[in-house]
This record gives sequence, structure tokens and C-alpha cells, in this order.
Amino acid sequence: MQMRASFAKWRSLHLTFNRDADMNFILEGTINGILMGSIYGLTALGLTVIFGVLKVINFAHGSLIMVSMYVAYWAIIFTGVHPYIALIIVVPVMYFFGYYLQDIIIKPIFKAEKDIREPITVIIVTTGVWYILDNLTLLIFGPQYRSIQNNPLRGKMLEFGDMLISVPKLWGFVTAVITAFAIYWFLQKTRTGRAIRATSLDREAASLMGINQFKIYNIAFGIGTAVVGISAVTLVPFYNIFPSVGVLFDIKGFIIVVLGGLGSIGGAILGGIIIGLIESIAPMFMTATWAEAIVYALFLVVLFVKPSGLFGVKYDW
Amino acid sequence: MKVDIRLMGKLTVFFTIFAFVAVLPLLPASAAAENVVKVGNIIPLSGPSASVGQQGKQAREMAVAEINAAGGIKSLGGAKLQMIYADSESKPEKGVAEAERLINTEKVNVLTGCWNSAVTYPTTAVAERYGIPFIVPVSVADKITEQGFKTVFRIAAKDSWWTRDQFAFLKDMEKEFNAPVKKLAFVYENGDWGKGFAEQWKALAKKGGYKVVLDEPYPSTSTDLSPVVQKIRRVKPDVLMLVSNAADAILLTNTLAEYKVKLKAVIASGGGHADPSFLKATGKNARYLFDIVEWETDVNKPGAKEANAKYKAKYGYNLAGEAVDAYLAMYVLKDALERAGSLDPAKIIKALAATNLTSGPGMIVGYDAVEFGKDGQNKHASLVMVQINDLGKGLERITVWPKSARRSGYTPVFPMPNK
Amino acid sequence: MTRKNINTSAFILLGFVAFGLPLVLRSPTYLHIIILLYLYAYLTTSWNLVGGFAGVLPLGHSAFIGIGAYASTILSLQYGISPWIGMIAGGLLAAIAGILIGLPTFKMRGAYFALATIAFGEGIRVMVENIDNLGPLKINGPRGLQIPPTHIGFGNFMFAGKEPYYYIILVMLIGVLAFTYFISRSKLGYYLNAGGEEPEAAMSLGVNVARAKLIAMAMSSFLTALAGTFYAQFTLYIHPKSVMSLDFSFEIAFIALIGGRGSIAGPVLGALLLRPVSDFSRIYFGSTLPGLHLVIFGTVLILVMIFQPRGLQEPLSKFYNTLLDRISGQTRQGEVTHEYS
Repeated sequence: MQMRASFAKWRSLHLTFNRDADMNFILEGTINGILMGSIYGLTALGLTVIFGVLKVINFAHGSLIMVSMYVAYWAIIFTGVHPYIALIIVVPVMYFFGYYLQDIIIKPIFKAEKDIREPITVIIVTTGVWYILDNLTLLIFGPQYRSIQNNPLRGKMLEFGDMLISVPKLWGFVTAVITAFAIYWFLQKTRTGRAIRATSLDREAASLMGINQFKIYNIAFGIGTAVVGISAVTLVPFYNIFPSVGVLFDIKGFIIVVLGGLGSIGGAILGGIIIGLIESIAPMFMTATWAEAIVYALFLVVLFVKPSGLFGVKYDW
Repeated sequence: MKVDIRLMGKLTVFFTIFAFVAVLPLLPASAAAENVVKVGNIIPLSGPSASVGQQGKQAREMAVAEINAAGGIKSLGGAKLQMIYADSESKPEKGVAEAERLINTEKVNVLTGCWNSAVTYPTTAVAERYGIPFIVPVSVADKITEQGFKTVFRIAAKDSWWTRDQFAFLKDMEKEFNAPVKKLAFVYENGDWGKGFAEQWKALAKKGGYKVVLDEPYPSTSTDLSPVVQKIRRVKPDVLMLVSNAADAILLTNTLAEYKVKLKAVIASGGGHADPSFLKATGKNARYLFDIVEWETDVNKPGAKEANAKYKAKYGYNLAGEAVDAYLAMYVLKDALERAGSLDPAKIIKALAATNLTSGPGMIVGYDAVEFGKDGQNKHASLVMVQINDLGKGLERITVWPKSARRSGYTPVFPMPNK
Repeated sequence: MTRKNINTSAFILLGFVAFGLPLVLRSPTYLHIIILLYLYAYLTTSWNLVGGFAGVLPLGHSAFIGIGAYASTILSLQYGISPWIGMIAGGLLAAIAGILIGLPTFKMRGAYFALATIAFGEGIRVMVENIDNLGPLKINGPRGLQIPPTHIGFGNFMFAGKEPYYYIILVMLIGVLAFTYFISRSKLGYYLNAGGEEPEAAMSLGVNVARAKLIAMAMSSFLTALAGTFYAQFTLYIHPKSVMSLDFSFEIAFIALIGGRGSIAGPVLGALLLRPVSDFSRIYFGSTLPGLHLVIFGTVLILVMIFQPRGLQEPLSKFYNTLLDRISGQTRQGEVTHEYS
């Protein structure tokens, strides 16, 4: 049986470990897990804002990542700038993309099902958006895998003795942390931010306070999508760009959001890091394919034991 | 009670459209033209294998354009080949549905397809049931010609030949360069293809006296392959053998380079590594990689360079081994049709079974004849090993094995120089 | 003619058409498409027991299809047990799985429930993909299991032509529709309805909402697994990505939602309308503009949800009622407005 075989292999590996080399590998894996995980968290950050405020699953999330990656790709190719400078283009473009996506396609649903707290039809609509975006991209741009070969970050590694740390992932980590703080600050300190938080806590009460519910949704969606844009810029220096790339990040995004807690900024980043760590460390003891199963298992455990996630506030779910 | 005219109007329109749409499958999608041979092609045109699916389509079109321009099938009065394509989306149930439709509604005379082995198994079963000849250009799974079907003819080599040749190549390299290899690492995509190869590798490794230090299937849709690369680093293999699709091949190659993994050689298995976007996306990280394929652009055969140049001019990238199989499949079909002189499926099947094609524009492959065994497998299908290297004109794929096919003037680099 | 008479005669006519279709329609392609259409109608109606009546959104139902398919296939390939028996075995296995999944997930609300079912569905798929052998059972991981088309016969659930498959799935479909009808009129149906709309009120009246939902889930998963066996015997090849994929789960749920969940005719209508759209756009556009069929499918999804969020069953049944009124000269309340001879 495969499980017994890999367990036996693990046991035998254990016995032949060289303590020092082993520590090195674990440390390197841990660091990689944290870095990659923070990037996962960044991709999920936009989702948690949208999910937290609008209370709906946005299945077009992966597609938004994909679109952002293409936007970033074209921006960098045409201007030849350092990938992170492309943020100047990507962030506003994605903000408006998200804003109008919500305004034109999703708002009518909300208006139609005003009394239902989590409109299920929005889930279907976002799935429709997902199918459309992914396949329009396939039609227009073709299925090829693109990447930005000659960017200053590609392939650069930092060396610490025997350990190697990926430079683009490090940049991603820093960006994730900064973005998380920026969003947190925005939600806590600015007027719009507070309005967003109010709406997410209680729609009716917020609108009684004079907050235009739908405008807030638009803004929240715009911000969420802009954050997705930022995450795409961190991925583009070392990843491939192709029409179905979003699908890979889609489910992971939802797992992270639930893990971290709906609407929790820190939760998203930390949730991402947890996933990243599992993906990096579990393969040391089993095949990479079982690591995938562990992620799902963990997800389910969290859903059952603490559905509000690690840092979520207990709503009246 | 009042009747809402507008609602009724809307619904009437709706029902009319629905009824119309419901009737459509009774009509063939293409107009029946005079004196044609209808060829149905089931390939993945969307979904994860869209890239190779498109290449297969393009190669077929190029061949068919040439055949038709040269006068079509003379023994059928100059009948032209008419190609009908169906998208399998890489899903077996869609492949089966399309096969049913092509056979029963479109009334095709021959089928080709389906690239994904998982789609090819059940789809050939459909053709077998209806007695329609089915030419499989590419799908490599052994099982396809081992089901006892009489209507299936496969051009590509079976995957047990691929793995056998990979190991034969390795032994030859060890001898030629006096560089013994002891430790092997197997890293492969966790699908039908990868697992099939891995099983055979394990048996071949045992026979060859190698030590397998890593047996690692990974999900093809991974977003980060650093953990796998770290495992490779840790076990320090001499040779790494890979089975990957395009996205993960690119990711793996780049990550291996980033982590400066020192190996004697990397042997890939075609597929993702042979995809045109692979070289573009990996650049010099792919240098010295060995890849086993059906065919390479520098194969020493007449017409190969011209065909490739024509394809490249039309579509923008080189022919890949799999596209060449599709191209050849069309010529095999033409040859069989000429000998059959009829559109009767049984006669076409008989003609295909008797194929012994040794010349013609289709024979740009590395081997010398197409001849099908009793099981429908092309007996002479052989493979070549290429090495990716830069000889001053940018990165290219250079045929290195078998020695008789090696590009003149080139000596393979084995083991890899470690920077 | 009274309303009731017309209604009944319409059903009888429909029955004749359905049963007589293969005698008139000879094209195997068309039969194949209709068989798949009935299969989807069956799947969506079974899904409806949970997704419609219990008021939640399960998005992992393909796991049950997989359980059914694998159970009957393994039993018939390895132990020679007739797929009919294997079908029941698969159904029971799926029912148990459904209860196990339902126990923790029904406590969750809306979006969380949906995500949990996705996780279960994908988790099961990933596990099956990773396992080659489970003890003595050969599962074959990602390579799947192929059923050789050799033992033709009713006992082996294998036929040379398409007609027997047509009738089997038709009977299954009628069966599941009848079952749904009776459930909707039964106590269980009312409990589910109450529990879906006002769970607290229902519970305060003594309704064991949780138990009702679990029973619905068990029934739904059992029925869904039966379709898994049918699928395996019809297509003769199963592997995790085909019978247990997320796409499959989504497709079933969305067809039911567009048709109108919570109603009996809704899922069937959804299948009748959407399956052709998806199939034909693939046939007509798939080779020239790859992916366009999915763009069309996505657009249809969006448009229907914006204009008819409760599903298309609503306007269509209104239309049907209006038609009935005109023809019978009666309104629903039974007052006669016009005498027709």
C-alpha cells in the first residue's frame, strides 16, 4: 500500500539523517514556505476584503489574478521597467476593473435580492465571469505560456552558506507585509475604511447611518481587485502567465481566507504562510501529492473546529 | 384573467429558439461536398492541453493543404481530404461524445486523435464498435494498442519504448564519455502519463543496476515547486529524469537553476519540455537538458528542414515531435486511401494494416518506414534524444542519439559542466 | 376539459413521447446527447433534495458520483459482481459518506457550507488520485479504471446499442422525479422547507431540522451515486478527473440553480436548456474559436441570474399555467370563465 511504503521510506530517511545538513534543509524549507506563503496570503488578501464586506464567494477571484498578471506582463513588456514599477499601472487599472465589475454585473443581483444576506446568485454570476474571462483570454491571447525573461529579479538568489533564498519571493514577502499594513491602516483610520467596516458588520444599520451601501461595495471590490493586482506583480517576475493560471490560486485563496478568518487582514497573510509552510515542509516527509491532501484536511478541520478562522471575529454565522 | 402578451411573446421566442437548437444535431455541421474524404479529428483545443492541441491541428492542416493541392486521392478520382475538428477539452466523456457525433452525424470515414491518453482509450473503443478506422498520431500509453482493437493504428512509439530508449541512451552516454552513473531521481507529474513512465523506470533501473534515490510524483498544477527541488538537492542524484507538462516543466527548470542544483544530466520525456514556449520561458536555464522526442528539426532526412521552415513561417514556431506525428498521420492516411481505392471502412482498415510507407513528404521522421504490427502499433517508430545547447546562434535542440542520427559536428555535453 | 384533465393528458403525452423517442429517432448521436441530458436531469434532481429543499449550496456532489462509479466498477472488475448490485453498494457507501459530511457542515451558514463541500469533494478526489491500491482493491490512482466492453447483457449492465441505456436512465429519471414529488408532499418535505426558511422558528416548534437535513443528504447522495454507476457503465472508463471533478459538481449545481432549485421541474428544465447550449456551442465553435463555448455558457449564466434569479422555472410555469387557463377556460381557483365544448 502506498501509504505504508512512503511511511517506511520516511522512517528509513530519518535513520540516515545527517543532523546538520538536515537542519539546513528544514530551515531553508521553512523560509521558502514563509516567503511563498506570504505571497499566497497577498493573493488572498483581496479576496478576504471582498468576502468580508460583500459576504459572497467571488469565484472569479482566480480570473482576476490572471487578468492582473496579463496587465502586469504587458505593462512591463511595453515599458521595459522594473516589474515593481509596473504597480503604477496595474493598481489603478485593476481597481477600476473591480469597481466596474461589481457595479455593472454584481450590483443588479444585490438589488434584486435585497433581503437575502448572502445572495447565492452572485456565486453563479461570478462563476460566469470566471468562465468568460478565462476563455476570452484564451481566445484573444492564445494558450502559450509567457514569462518575463529579462527582468532584474529573475533567478536571483541570496546565499547564506548552504542555504539559498529566492530574491523575488523576498520582495513578494515585503510587499505582502507592507500591503497588509496599508490596508489595515486604511480600514482603521480613513473615513471610507470605517464605512467599509461598518457595512460589513451590519448592512442595514450602516445605510441608516447615511452610508451608500452600493458605493461601498464598489469601492471594496475595487480595493480587493487592486490588491490582487499587487499580488500579480509579485508573481510575474518568477512565474508563468497563461489563461488558466488563475485556477491554481482560486481554491487556495478560499482555503486561506477561511483559515485566517473572514475579513481579517492579518489572518489572510498568516493563513497564506501556514499553507506555504505545509507545502514546503510536508514534502520532506512524504510525496508532494500528499501535501495537497493535507491542505484540504487542515481546511476541513478549521471549518469544523473554528469556522470563523484563526483570527476571525465570531459573527452570527 | 389577462394574458401577459409580452411574457408570452418572450417565451414563444424562447421556445422557438430552443426547438431550433434541439433540431440542430440532426443536421451535420458541415455541408456534404462532392467527392471528399471526411476525416474527423478529436483533439484538445481548449483546456490545459490547448497549446499542443493547436499545434496538432496546424500540422494536420499543413499536410492536408499539400495533399489536396497535389491532386487529392487519385484512386478516388481526386477526392480531397476534408478535415472536421472537434474539441475534446482533454475530457474523456467529451471525446466519446464527439466520436459518436462525428461517426453518426458527420459520417466521417476516418478518425484521428486524441493526444491525451485518457481521452484516447474510450474514444478508440467507440471507433472499434462502429468499425471506423482510427489513427492515433501521438498518445503514447501502451494500453492503446493492447486492447485487441482492429481499427486502431498508432504512429508514435509506445511509452515503454520511450522509457527503454531513455535508459539505452543513458548507458550509451556513460560508455561514450566514461562517466558512470549510479544514483537516479525520478520526478514526474502525478497523472496517467507520469505514473506510467515512473513504473517502467523503476523496473528498468533495477535491471540496469541503478539506485533510485528519489521517486517523487508532484501535482502538475503546483504553484511552487521549490520543495520538490529541495528534495532533489538533498538526495544528490547523478541523473534526474522528468515527466512534465509545459507549465511545471518551465517552473521546475527555472527553480532547479535558481537553487543551483548540481547534476550530471537531466533527461526529460518530451511533452511539456518539447513545447515551443518552454525554451522561451526558461532560456539558458534549460541548457544541456536532454529530451527524448519523436523528432527534431535537425533530423537528417530529406524534406525535414523544408517542412519545418514552412511550418515556422506559417505559425511562428518550430514543429514539435508530436506535431510531426500528426503531419505524418495525414500522409499515412493518404497512402492507405490510395491503396484502398474506396471509402469502405473495412477496406481502409485493411489498407492501413498493410502500410509500408518509406518515402514521401510525410517521412520526415527519424525512422525509415511506417509499418503497423497486428496490434496496430507502428513497428519502426523510434525516438531521438536531443540536447538543448547554444552553439552561438541561440538556444536550440540538437539531435544527439542514436549516434547515427546525431547532428554532424556536435559532441553532446555529458556530464553537465557545473558552474 | 378541466384543468386537471389537461394536466394529466399532457403528462401522458409526454410519457408517450419520452418512451417512444428511440423508436422514431434512429441517430445514435442524438440518443447519446439525450441520454446525457437525462443523466444531468437526474443528477440535478437528486442534488435538488439538498440544494433546493434543504436550502444550502452543496458544491461537492461529484464525490458521490465518483463513489458510486468506483464502487460498482471495482466490484465488477475484481470480484465479478453484477454492477446492479454494485450500484446499490455504491449508493449505500455514498449515503454514509453524505451523512458523515453533513454532520459537521450543516451547522455552517451559506458560503462556509459551500466551501466545505468543495473541500470535501476536492479532498476525496486528491486522495483517490494518490492511491493506487487500497488493501486488496485496485484503484489505480490517476490512470483510472477501464471496463472492457466484453460481457454484454442485462445482468452485466452492458449493452451493444444505446436504446437500453436510454430506457434505464429514463426510468431512473422518472423514479427520482416521483420520489422528489412525494418527499415534497411528505412531512420531511415540510420540515425541510420550514428549516430552510426559518430554522429558529421551526426548531421552536419541535422540528428536528438537523435530522431532516441529514436524511435529505443521505437520500441525495445515495441517488447521486446510482448515476455514477450508470455513467461508468455507459462510458466504460472512469478516472478521478472525469467523475470527481470540481467542474462536474459546479455544472450540476448551476444547472439546478438556473432551472430553479426547490422546485421539482426546475432542475430538469435547467438541464434541458443548458446542456444543449454547452454541447452545441462546443460542436459549432469548439474547433474554430476554442473556449468560445465556455464564454457563451458563462454569459448565459450571468444573464439568467440577473433577470431570473429564482430560476427559469418561474416564468415557464407561469406561462404553462396561463396556457392551461386559456385552454380550459378555468382559472386556478376553478371558476369557469368561458365554456368550451
